[in-house]
Amino acid sequence: MALIYDEAQRQIADECERILKDAYSAPALKALLERLGCYDESFWQLCVDQGWTAIAVPEEFGGLGLGLSEQGIVSQACGKVVGGAPFLASGYAVVEAISRFGDPALKDRWLPALARGETKGVVAVGEGRAILPQAPCVRFEEGRLTGTKSAVTGGAFGDVALVLAAGTDGPVLVLADLSGPETSREILPTFDNSRVTADLVFSGTPAQRLATDGLGAARTILQLLAVVTAHEQVGGAEEVFSWARTYALERIAFGQPLAAFQSIKHRLAENYITIELARGNAQFAAHNVDDPRFAQFAAAARISAIEAYDTTSRDAMQVYGGFGATWEADLHLHQRRARTLAVECGNSLFWEDELVEELRHAN
Amino acid sequence: MQTETAIQDYRTTARKWLESHAATYGAAARRGLDDKADLALGRAWMALKHDAGYSGINWPREHGGQGLGAVEKLAFEEEEMKFGFPTEYFSVSLGMPVPIILRYFSGEWVLERARAALRGEEIWCQLFSEPSGGSDLAGLRTRAIREEATEDWRLHGQKLWTSYAQYADYGIIVARHDPTVPKHKGLTYFWVDMRAPGTTVRPIKLADGSDHVNEVFFDNVLVPDSQRLGAVGDGFKVALETLVIERHHASDPAGFGPPLDLFVREAAEADADGSSLLDDGRVRERIARNYALQNGLRAIQARTQLLLALGVEPGPEGAINKLVAARARQRLSEFVLDARGPAGVNWQSGSRSADWVRSWIAVPTARQAGGSDEMLLNTIAERILGLPQDHRPDKGVPFNQIPR
Repeated sequence: MALIYDEAQRQIADECERILKDAYSAPALKALLERLGCYDESFWQLCVDQGWTAIAVPEEFGGLGLGLSEQGIVSQACGKVVGGAPFLASGYAVVEAISRFGDPALKDRWLPALARGETKGVVAVGEGRAILPQAPCVRFEEGRLTGTKSAVTGGAFGDVALVLAAGTDGPVLVLADLSGPETSREILPTFDNSRVTADLVFSGTPAQRLATDGLGAARTILQLLAVVTAHEQVGGAEEVFSWARTYALERIAFGQPLAAFQSIKHRLAENYITIELARGNAQFAAHNVDDPRFAQFAAAARISAIEAYDTTSRDAMQVYGGFGATWEADLHLHQRRARTLAVECGNSLFWEDELVEELRHAN
Repeated sequence: MQTETAIQDYRTTARKWLESHAATYGAAARRGLDDKADLALGRAWMALKHDAGYSGINWPREHGGQGLGAVEKLAFEEEEMKFGFPTEYFSVSLGMPVPIILRYFSGEWVLERARAALRGEEIWCQLFSEPSGGSDLAGLRTRAIREEATEDWRLHGQKLWTSYAQYADYGIIVARHDPTVPKHKGLTYFWVDMRAPGTTVRPIKLADGSDHVNEVFFDNVLVPDSQRLGAVGDGFKVALETLVIERHHASDPAGFGPPLDLFVREAAEADADGSSLLDDGRVRERIARNYALQNGLRAIQARTQLLLALGVEPGPEGAINKLVAARARQRLSEFVLDARGPAGVNWQSGSRSADWVRSWIAVPTARQAGGSDEMLLNTIAERILGLPQDHRPDKGVPFNQIPR
């Protein structure tokens, strides 16, 4: 029951927001932007200490056994504070993949460690421009991976990776152990460096098969990840929008607050609409995770959330005027994160295509 | 959840009942009927609903309603909407005028009006907008002049955009009794008999060829003081009360235009050369974005209904529905005609839901009626976001000193 949050869910939301607000530090986040290969370790430790890494892990493996809605609620709160580490969402995706497709031995081996946050899970499905390559170049043969997965979010520090690879009979989804010397990581300089994005180069990396229908399984995981990310985007959009609203009320020009000018008022009203649509879509998708049309809902959530976060962060800059473009104003934290989240886990082009194919088959 | 199941049961039962009457009263039965016959079918449909216990769903029992909640009403309306029943003549009547007179009057007379309106035997219209008072309702100029001897009133002036006035038996009206005080303070509210001498109704032909809206002229029309609602000078207050009386209407994420699926199916068909529009990225983008938008509205609507079922007043986000749905419908309808190429000019009359041309040509009124886009943006900005009101130079100025 998550289309309206129940008491327990509201408590999670309030608690997350409170804790994260106390921990938020714009100077710390900005310092990370200028450093390569560093993430916010205190933020990640907070996620672990709060048990957020355990949310979706079944109880028999040391988790909380909660669902997509709860994961979304936490992500939304993390989005508000431009969380300085990417592992919560990517770890969730890995947990889901193992829970859904893994055998008991794999679950025993990985789920408790993922729940405790000792193991960081990352998603290495895409290659080049494609988030879901139909014929992946990375190969999986006799339990070993070879080839390169490019621009893996969190790749610099991931302990275990979900990899879509070409098997002997078509694409398979495998779980790769990144701890050994067979995997090298090339950290990429990006405009949002705390994502610790890296190319993963596999030279015989050990991996275990999760699903033989690799594309289908990867698609399912991407949909779940998209809904979690959509929540994070909604959180970011809400926050940057609230900054713009406050600024417009406080800043005086021509003898009245900026917010008294219709061009500003209406811009903010449009922002509100965009956010509410994205929020509706995200909650609806999380609520309907078992619906046969979940693929449609997930794609809609993603498309809507990308638009909401991009639009609100872009418009906030405009409302702020020249000051908005400065390093000091912090708006660029959202500007950067909006774009980062927009291209990780499938861009709008991908999700539009996914959605239209779903609709084609539904009609 | 128990409430949710109860609502679902109510909806299922209603849907079965509606289905059983769709062939006789629905879109197919209406095709080819002239206005008179269509209205007659509408009246028969309202009577049938009344007999079956599906009218005045959320009205109190003592007013002849069913005594249920807004959530049952919404569920029924959503299902009813799918079949194209002839309900449009009665939606204003039952949505605002009749509920407001039920608040201000009691006894046999008003109960009989309510019963007749529910059965579609009588229709009420709402005489608010004027040539100089639309979005700025309090700027209206129709005069109500009191006769000293009788204390009754005479109406002089013109109303505009009055839906279905040509079929109306009665109306509710706001008029200016005192032009020497600031605009909101000089208004008084009445009900009127649309057949009273001096009342003239003229249908206005709209761009799409339809004429359901009217201009209504009042030439020295006698209105007894017993037909007044609220105190003299309370007209604006009663008008606002009227507008919020039915807070929850069934909404349509497609903005009452054709469903998106219809275009998906059309786009999937092969053209003469074998190509399909659905393979064109530009078409795909439009479809995907419209789906995301409509699904967002659907989600907000679903949440609203759940909250209502729990007895909780929903958040303000429902206010975005009409604004978003109507303008998206306009752009999508334009695009569908565009995508058809030269054949896009073809206008074959069909059912409303199937007709993208009608959707496109009629949609400008949807972006005005019930609050223009611009007014709705102001409402969101001021009421929801707490941003300052617009500068209003006429604030506090006596009405007759406001520059015209």
